Amino acid sequence: MYEFLSHYVSWLGMSPANVITTVFGSFCVTFVVIICWGRLVQDFGPIGGMMAAAFIIGTFWVLNHKLPGFGIHPEGIPHPDGGLKQFGLIYQGFRGASPWVDMGTAIGFGLWVTCLCESEKGQRCKSAIESLPRVGAAILGGIIGGAITGLVGWSGANLFGYR
Amino acid sequence: MRYLSTVIGGAVCGALCFGIWPEMWKSYGIMGGWLTAAIVISICWYMNHWLGLFWNQSGQIWVDQGWSVASAGVSWGLVRFNSHFAQALPVVGCCLVGGALAGYAAAYVKRNNPAFACPSKPTVPEAGPHV
Repeated sequence: MYEFLSHYVSWLGMSPANVITTVFGSFCVTFVVIICWGRLVQDFGPIGGMMAAAFIIGTFWVLNHKLPGFGIHPEGIPHPDGGLKQFGLIYQGFRGASPWVDMGTAIGFGLWVTCLCESEKGQRCKSAIESLPRVGAAILGGIIGGAITGLVGWSGANLFGYR
Repeated sequence: MRYLSTVIGGAVCGALCFGIWPEMWKSYGIMGGWLTAAIVISICWYMNHWLGLFWNQSGQIWVDQGWSVASAGVSWGLVRFNSHFAQALPVVGCCLVGGALAGYAAAYVKRNNPAFACPSKPTVPEAGPHV
């Protein structure tokens, strides 16, 4: 068991233990968002949505994406095998060298799946096809915003020694 | 036009998340990350879903700003750190599996838990005399 769980699969970039934690972490946050967010908005209006953002996303950020070092090692604790130690449930693949995978992936797809399950039996394929361009627009917007934000690493400024 | 507003809302949400979140974590640790969710996701949710920048109609499949955050995270990592897109795919796959499981489970719970029976609309048809 120990051998199996701790075996680092190089082509997958993670060990079986990381697969289990990633699936479980994304399950938890998606389930709580689907169950609680709409109900909070029903009960409290827009304030309920803002409360949900803090309580659900903030709390599950700590569970899924927290990184080591509270003022001790803000840059992360180096692992002897390279990369940084990770404590969040959603593993960043290839010891953190992969592009950032956010729990928003799980939330978006989970809401898509639950709406698909809730739509009527004969209409599922139609509503799935209808939603695809809207999902594509959301993803395109994210790509634009994220890529432009990433450009600040290339702006050439060297303020206060920060990279 | 609704597509354009979806793209703009997604771009703002992704840029806010990945411009602010790492810096807040580096400055304030765990509490910075929690606080960032409170200040960034709340205002993005208000703009995108309460005011309706994202194109969602009732009765159709919900498009969440989570899609934007997800793609922004990957593209931010690609541009900022020169990482490889293929290396994100295993984790994305795991996240999709977990999200799909949770979506199915939540639909099941909503269908069968009496707490989610909406009083305003009838969910169960009237039982006929043969029952």
